[in-house]
Amino acid sequence: MIDVIESLAEILNSKDVEWEIYWESGRSGSFRIERETLDRSQRKFYSGIGLRVGLNGKLGFSYITGIHHSRSELEKFVERTIKLAKVSEVPFRGFPVPSKVPEVKGIYDRKIEEIPFEDAHALALQYAEKMRELKEKETLSGSISLAFERYGVVNSNGVELEASSTYMGVSAYAVREDTPGNGSFYQSYRSLQGIEALEEAIMKAKEDAELSARAKRLEPYEGEVVLEPEAVLSIVEVLLENFYGDEVYYGRSRFSSFGDRVASEDFTLLDDSTLEGLPGSYPFDGEGTPGQRTTLIENGILKGFLLDHTYASLLGLKSTGNAVRSFRTVPSIGSSNLVVEPGKEGLEDFEGIIIKNVFGEHTANPVSGDFSLPVGLGYVVRDGELVPFKDNMLVGNVFDLLKTAEPGKAIKRISSFMAPRVKVHAKIV
Amino acid sequence: MEVERLIRSAEELARKHGIGYYEIRISRVVMTEVSMSNGQLRGLSSNSETGIGARAFNGAWGFSSANDFERFEKAIETAMKIAKLSRGESKIYTGDPVVDDAEMPVKRPFSDINIEEKVALVKETDSMLTGERIVNRNVSYRDTVVETFYFNSLGSEIRTVVPRIRFGFSVTAKENGEMQQYWKSFGGTLGWEMVEGIDISHWTSLVVEKARALLKASSPPSGEFQVIADPELTGLFIHEALGHAVEADLVKNGDSILAGKLGQKIAVDGLTVVDDPTLPGKFGSYIYDDEGIRAKRVEIIRDGVLVNYLNDRETAQYFGLEPNGHGRAQSYAHQPLVRMGNTYVEAGDWSFEEMLEEVKYGLYMIGDKGGQVDTANGTFTFGAREGYIIENGELRKMVRDVALSGKILDVLKSIRAIGKDVRIEYPGYCGKGQSVPVDDGGPHLLTKALVGGLK
Repeated sequence: MIDVIESLAEILNSKDVEWEIYWESGRSGSFRIERETLDRSQRKFYSGIGLRVGLNGKLGFSYITGIHHSRSELEKFVERTIKLAKVSEVPFRGFPVPSKVPEVKGIYDRKIEEIPFEDAHALALQYAEKMRELKEKETLSGSISLAFERYGVVNSNGVELEASSTYMGVSAYAVREDTPGNGSFYQSYRSLQGIEALEEAIMKAKEDAELSARAKRLEPYEGEVVLEPEAVLSIVEVLLENFYGDEVYYGRSRFSSFGDRVASEDFTLLDDSTLEGLPGSYPFDGEGTPGQRTTLIENGILKGFLLDHTYASLLGLKSTGNAVRSFRTVPSIGSSNLVVEPGKEGLEDFEGIIIKNVFGEHTANPVSGDFSLPVGLGYVVRDGELVPFKDNMLVGNVFDLLKTAEPGKAIKRISSFMAPRVKVHAKIV
Repeated sequence: MEVERLIRSAEELARKHGIGYYEIRISRVVMTEVSMSNGQLRGLSSNSETGIGARAFNGAWGFSSANDFERFEKAIETAMKIAKLSRGESKIYTGDPVVDDAEMPVKRPFSDINIEEKVALVKETDSMLTGERIVNRNVSYRDTVVETFYFNSLGSEIRTVVPRIRFGFSVTAKENGEMQQYWKSFGGTLGWEMVEGIDISHWTSLVVEKARALLKASSPPSGEFQVIADPELTGLFIHEALGHAVEADLVKNGDSILAGKLGQKIAVDGLTVVDDPTLPGKFGSYIYDDEGIRAKRVEIIRDGVLVNYLNDRETAQYFGLEPNGHGRAQSYAHQPLVRMGNTYVEAGDWSFEEMLEEVKYGLYMIGDKGGQVDTANGTFTFGAREGYIIENGELRKMVRDVALSGKILDVLKSIRAIGKDVRIEYPGYCGKGQSVPVDDGGPHLLTKALVGGLK
């Protein structure tokens, strides 16, 4: 335990309260390339401590930035948080007790923690150089970000955990200058990637930009449509908050009882924070609950919710280790890695209408399930020939759509989301 | 004083690393948040923090930030070292130094109101949101005061104090398996007087009634229709359909359909669109942007002609435009990007009734439900909270979950009527990698768009 946390725990132990400390100390470097030229480079440092105090069934929360504090500053911090617990009417449902935390592999890469800024900068220059080399009729932009963080949770029940994690994000964006059309690519990793990953990003963005520049609006259509994993992600995002324990508890979720049929029997959706090397993985969540695999929908049947300690307790369930937070916030419920399991049908050679991506998910209504999302890029495949389209809207109701879902076999990863292509019945206007 | 030491230190470091231009922001943020769901307090916090963001320019930008006081000087040096390493070919507008001390005036500072009073406001509002078929109610309150000291290598030294308040509530109604939500938000660069001026009883009743009514509303038709947007939706529409595409950083990167169109007619006669961060008390208002440039009113479209882009120090120089103070950052830990402030459509001369009479079959759409734009393709989408079918100039049945989509270059030329009833009172946050407070509005507007309904 770092010294400041030890001192803080000592002060808290002398008070008649339950307490929880969440601390972070991190560093990030990021590089923004505009028009094939490195334009903005940055290196940020942050650290801080969030403190929750439970007193007479009520919760107080406060934070301080930095991890260098004198004893008297820490004492004031504790007093302030206890005072807030005294006036607060936020219900306190206890903190987690210690339990075995899984070993999650591949979430820390020493090379990212130790990379000298100059080397990261050189990689960004190489990325810009690669863009100049691959540039044809488009303007290329993109970014690289690298981050390292050490964080921990300590509470009065004896939880005492800390972990290190690293992260690398790569994005590329291509805009055609001759005719309107653009393509983008984003991927994140937990280990340092070399020029191959950067080149792949550029090529994927270029491919989509080329298709987008040729795309025209499609005639209205209703029927069988295949969604690429990018579009499946958007649909899952519209649905997602219905699984959040707080939304369930406060009556804002469409879902209420496990065992209900909510999707086709081929459709299985789960959240798993223990997957090796994935961007959403962690050994324990923001309250110290072990990371785990949680089935949300299994063969079309509602099986689980995403829960933190508080809402699990209010619902009479167990936390699924989905408390997400920073030192500035109390835990909130969020997903880790979301996985749509592969189905039986191979959809790789599907002929018909395929939607690559849609946008504007936040305009959809998660409780009614209705959505109308503009198509960023789609294509019609007939006799092996591919004709791109865009500017239509994909419209439907997410709950109805899921009942027609037939996942394909081949899984693709988009950051912390994994899914195959999924065939659905949908409407395009 | 600590700041004076940092100013001296920055000067020395710039000399040492050969940096021509730098700017430093040190902010102290004081914030209180209260939130409640179904009568149960969910969140209550009161915090403050201080942080630094340092930028140095050497033909490309180097930036560093820190929130631990011991790292403040290190952040300045890091930004300069990065800029030294970066050496690019870009140029920026520098201009004359500015020395100022400016505070946005408030009648009742948040610090005069104790936390019990803020909790009482939230509780009272919550109690008014109850009723049949209402299964969920949420109330949230947040106030912040950001005191920023900005200085740069030109000799600018600017201290600003900006208060900001946001208060809102929502309900979910449920009946026979159907669920619908409705909400209302208030916000401004004002003090506690903002909430004292709200008729809470009126707005809570309205929110409850609308959520219930939406349960019975049907999905709208789909296809291209004549659409009348209410002032709130006009604001969202113009923010998405025009505002983002005139952000000069996107234009510079080839990422806007409006590149190369300055001076060209891109919209109908009579359409004038303005971004004005100097409007008193509005949510997107500020005194100086995060590059130390004074906020100013900018006409984007005058009578259908594109007359300006929104710019920052870099894009003003790039396009040879007058800098207009639209470089905004989410916080001290973020680099400024070109952003909107308060964007609105100026008044025309149509009344709402005259507009309605123009529509044989179409939709009247009300309320901001968020939007998004693909500026390179020129396609945007936006959602409305409620709508009504218009038949032969008359409002008919209510429709729900209405989302629209359009092409920027088509839809600005499809505007058929501009109302005279301008309102700019729709506070929100705009995301572009970073989130900043904005406001928007305008009058009623009659145009044409693709409606994505289920029917």
